[in-house]
Amino acid sequence: MIVAPVIVAPVIAQADEPFVRWDWVGRNLDNLWAATQEHIVLTGIAIGIGLIISMGLSIVALRWRKTYTPITWVTGLLYAIPSLALFALLVPITGLTLLTAEIGLVSYTLLILIRNIVAGIDGVPEPIIEAARGMGYTERKLFTDIQLPLAMPVIIAGVRIATVTTIGLITITALIGQGGLGFFILRGLQFYSAIGTTQILAGTVLSVVLAVTADLLLLGLERLLTPWARRRAVM
Amino acid sequence: MEFVGDVVNWFLSAENWSGPAGIPNRVWEHVQISVIATGLAAVIALPPALWLGHFRRGGFLAVAVVNIGRAVPSFAIMALFLPISIRLGLGLGFWPTLLALFALALPPIFTNTYTAVRDVDPALVEAGRGMGMRERQLLWTIEAPMASPVIVAALRVSAVQVVATAPLAALVAWGGLGRYIIDGFAVRDNVRVLAGGILVAVLSVGTELLLGALERRIVPRGLSRATEQVVPPAHG
Amino acid sequence: MITLTDVTKTFAGTVHPAVERLSLDIAEGEVVVLVGPSGCGKTTTLKMINRLIEPTDGRIMVAGKDVLNMPAFELRRSIGYVIQQIGLFPHKTIRDNIATVPHLLGWEKTKTAARVDELVDLVELSPDMLGRYPGELSGGQRQRVGVARALAADPPVLLMDEPFGAVDPIVRANLQVEMLRLQERVHKTIVLVTHDIDEAIRLGDRVAILSEGGHVEQYDSPGEILRDPANEFVADFLGSDRGIKRLSLIPISDIELDPGPVLSRSATVAEAEAMMSKYGIDWAIIGIGSRIEGWFESKDLAGQPDLRNVPTRKHRDRISPQASLKEALDVVVSSHTSVAAVFDEDRYLGIATIDQISREIVQ
Repeated sequence: MIVAPVIVAPVIAQADEPFVRWDWVGRNLDNLWAATQEHIVLTGIAIGIGLIISMGLSIVALRWRKTYTPITWVTGLLYAIPSLALFALLVPITGLTLLTAEIGLVSYTLLILIRNIVAGIDGVPEPIIEAARGMGYTERKLFTDIQLPLAMPVIIAGVRIATVTTIGLITITALIGQGGLGFFILRGLQFYSAIGTTQILAGTVLSVVLAVTADLLLLGLERLLTPWARRRAVM
Repeated sequence: MEFVGDVVNWFLSAENWSGPAGIPNRVWEHVQISVIATGLAAVIALPPALWLGHFRRGGFLAVAVVNIGRAVPSFAIMALFLPISIRLGLGLGFWPTLLALFALALPPIFTNTYTAVRDVDPALVEAGRGMGMRERQLLWTIEAPMASPVIVAALRVSAVQVVATAPLAALVAWGGLGRYIIDGFAVRDNVRVLAGGILVAVLSVGTELLLGALERRIVPRGLSRATEQVVPPAHG
Repeated sequence: MITLTDVTKTFAGTVHPAVERLSLDIAEGEVVVLVGPSGCGKTTTLKMINRLIEPTDGRIMVAGKDVLNMPAFELRRSIGYVIQQIGLFPHKTIRDNIATVPHLLGWEKTKTAARVDELVDLVELSPDMLGRYPGELSGGQRQRVGVARALAADPPVLLMDEPFGAVDPIVRANLQVEMLRLQERVHKTIVLVTHDIDEAIRLGDRVAILSEGGHVEQYDSPGEILRDPANEFVADFLGSDRGIKRLSLIPISDIELDPGPVLSRSATVAEAEAMMSKYGIDWAIIGIGSRIEGWFESKDLAGQPDLRNVPTRKHRDRISPQASLKEALDVVVSSHTSVAAVFDEDRYLGIATIDQISREIVQ
């Protein structure tokens, strides 16, 4: 990243042909918007399903501690496989479909979400749990009313990382025929000209904007869900 | 079932094991560029990270670098370097790939080294100063060794990231194991696609396990806790 | 109210039981303190009453019902529970914290709200704290909320595990006094665990001294235990100053006070000197009956024909008859006059001397 400006500067200086074709951008705003929406939908599905599966596996891991290691081992293994390879392994089975893309995307969210959910729940101080049990909370209510709300900051931190990661990975799904902003990046690679560069940049910039926006929105959500964390003792 | 048979055959056929498009060559290309990219990133990133970490300056830069690195998809980075490379007259294939992988390898090494050096117990540094050590000596004899577990872990994380992203380079007309996958998609040859996927998966997971084992060998037991703090880059 | 019969607990992976065949009877409305050295099983015993720890053997009856015959959570909703670190829920307001058990029991909103207001008053917290979060309160305030929360559903039984352990000695002493005052009003059956023998003596109607394995070495009122320890273990645990500890249980009003060297203004110098030599002291008091003006020293008599113009000093260390003999002893030892002057408001009742006090220790 430090090197980038050093390389980019002479490139821009070499402007016999414009680096970016703004006219193309103007003509394709609708397409870009459609791709962005597609991107958002793909993200939503992946994170949604990822959360459900992760929550389920986390509850299992919390209830039967011995399963935590195997669960993290398997999800860790999935995480270690590069996305392109994972899609390559899935395509022969599930084809160039949305399902393939989502299976891959969901797989990558599992490790980080499970780790954070378990860490968040484990992080709730012991006296609070003991007091709650002593007052007659059932295990189920303890989980939903006490442990989960107090684990929120850590869980949402995990969701933020998973979301930003997923938004980045969706660009690769363009290779298996899915959409999102990766479509423009892929197209752009086929033109060795300013049109190509413009498309690549458009896809990239919008992905980054999307990622940053999602991150900030989730941060806002965390603030909203934890009003007690900001109030300090007024002595 | 028939499909599985085809894939097995693919792996067994001799022609896939020889020549420029053969597995050994592709693996070599893959490994070679990963080593160069990571090595280059280490050489460029370590000195400033160590220096800034010691003087406790530029924290903002370290954070920014890693956040940018995480928000920009690795696919996009790979793609962006194509037009840049062409502009610089470096053409397709090798150069955009190297530059892109280099750019990917930099943030984890830089940020984690910086943080590790900066977070060395100040009491130790103070003791060293009290003994009359100069800035450079403090860095070499106290801070760097204390930070080394995290630095080694960061190098591992970075290398794995590079190996995992290199398959995408097939899109910028380079080789490596990603070629099988990309070419396979292009001609709808699912056998090649699957074979390529298996090869990439094996190499990536293998690299992770190998470097992990190596790291555990190198890092003295007493300091191994520190490696859990390494900030992982975005997934590739 | 609570009966433990041959209760035993052996933890998994251990050979010796943490609590072995413990039997204890706790009457309604009394405060029973379980006290003993670390590892004696007092906390384990407490936690078996509300089944936070399940007994391995034996029977526990609370209000006539076997605790094992109902779901644990149902049992716990009928027993108040206070722990050392309190464990207030940081994400709920003080109001919601206090209303926890009523909420679990499904109380109607108005009933709950009224009860919360009542409790805030009972534990002497200001109502404008109800909307705050635990993170905004001081340690002492949180302690009170913890107690209010335990009492919310008006349970007949209260279990307290080292409730005052986490605060400094001054706050602790205040909280102990408040607890006794509260108990006067609510009359709960309380089982309290502490490692501090002084706290046990101060708070308990009856005290059970436990040794390793949950063995009850002595179970009696604090006064009786101090007067007559059952064995060497108990005597050691009470400490070598148990005689003095006993003094803190006896109010001054229990002993007969000496009227003291009181003279009227019209007395002569000779009478004053006689009074002083009678008591073997170098000072005397001027006053009539229960109204006194103050005390003076023998050197104040120099050059005076009688007592009319002798300057007097007010007694600085005054003690009320409700104070304990221990406090009287403190005053006797530290005051200039070597006695404790006892006053009921402004009425002088007499003096407590070291002889009288030490007589009580020996008894």
